[in-house]
Amino acid sequence: MITIEKVSKHYGSFQVLTDCSTRVAKGEVVVVCGPSGSGKSTLIKCVNGLEPFQAGTITVNGVSVGDPKTNLSKLRSHVGMVFQHFELFPHMSITDNLTIAQEKVLGRNKDEARDKGLKLLDRVGLKAHAAKFPGQLSGGQQQRVAIARALAMDPICMLFDEPTSALDPEMINEVLDVMVELAQEGMTMMCVTHEMGFARKVANRVIFMDKGQIVEDDSKDAFFGAPRSERARQFLAKILQH
Amino acid sequence: MNYEFDWSSIPGALPFLWEGMKVSLEITVIAVIFGIVWGTLLAMMRLSPVKPLAMFAAGYVNLFRAIPLVMVLLWFFLIVPQVLRGAFNLDPNTDVRLTSAMIGFALFESAYYSEIIRAGIQSVPKGQVSAASALGMSYAQAMRLVVLPQAFRNMVPLLLTQAIVLFQDTSLVYVSALADFFGAAYKVGDRDGRLVELLLFAGAVYFVLCFSLSQVVRRLQKRMAMV
Repeated sequence: MITIEKVSKHYGSFQVLTDCSTRVAKGEVVVVCGPSGSGKSTLIKCVNGLEPFQAGTITVNGVSVGDPKTNLSKLRSHVGMVFQHFELFPHMSITDNLTIAQEKVLGRNKDEARDKGLKLLDRVGLKAHAAKFPGQLSGGQQQRVAIARALAMDPICMLFDEPTSALDPEMINEVLDVMVELAQEGMTMMCVTHEMGFARKVANRVIFMDKGQIVEDDSKDAFFGAPRSERARQFLAKILQH
Repeated sequence: MNYEFDWSSIPGALPFLWEGMKVSLEITVIAVIFGIVWGTLLAMMRLSPVKPLAMFAAGYVNLFRAIPLVMVLLWFFLIVPQVLRGAFNLDPNTDVRLTSAMIGFALFESAYYSEIIRAGIQSVPKGQVSAASALGMSYAQAMRLVVLPQAFRNMVPLLLTQAIVLFQDTSLVYVSALADFFGAAYKVGDRDGRLVELLLFAGAVYFVLCFSLSQVVRRLQKRMAMV
């Protein structure tokens, strides 16, 4: 589904990604972790072309992201993305947040978009909040709406960029529960996250990044059982301590 | 020195002064509308990655912000009538002063509006554009549906304040002998030898209008801060 091959990226003379290669098969859940500044958010943003890259290729469902001839908007419309800071549109009601791209990008009619949006809102347990505005919801609720908004586009895969790291601890689980459910339904997912509990529960593979490189790309059991690199061992020791 | 105030020429002149006020308001409204539309386009050009567009917009804004309004108005008063007459084959006696004043104001004010709007666009977090793009929206759609509505909401007080300044500045059209509110007051005062009274009256009217409008803006700001 997603193929990343020898991708490198730099801002001026600062190298952010070096020779990153990996793939995510259909139905697979891949967790990307690593210390902050390791390039994991940048890598996931390269997948839907939000961040340009200078070398290498990324294909999503056979479409090359870096090719200037590719219609990026069209590609993005069926690759769902969830952001660290939710990024709901604050000037629109929850319902409008869920329907606007369905109508303006996919060309669905109002009723169809509304039905779909409300169905997904119900699925993330927030049907009662349809008429509210994002500012009236808690962080966890906003993030669940953001997931529903991405799902409303019928994505072929989902990208999560640290979806729980801006949340208060008591709200993390409500978001992870939605993600676990999604993974169990067979959604193809690439998740940048530090939630190792989530990784243990649903990930097929774990990628560990450091200093812009993919240091480790292993099955979940191999990664948690015996990480091959010293850096991954140290990282795991640090975040599993608590 | 004893000056005897005599306000008696004002009541009779009110209809004439009202005509002048209509001219002032007309210029203000046209310049605000045009200024916001053209200003938005300039702001978007200035923020665009296309270098020539950004340079054109920056040049335009810097040029107009570096010359006095009165001079711009005089230029337009001297140049635009000739251009308009040439372009539309108008009778040389047609009065195009109002049109040239409006064009001058609109082009001048759009430079100021574009700076306000640019700041407004930049006040919307970058993540909003990312989110809109990630949903498959084009750049134009992201601007129109997501960024500009939020930017304008943040900008309403500033845009209105600029409109108040603009309304005051319309008095500068007296250089083209156009009878706006100030010009009308001046003419009446000159005719009746009561310049002091008429100018005090005009000043009071400007003050009441602008002060009450700025109070409205303040209230609006407070209300928006609460939401």
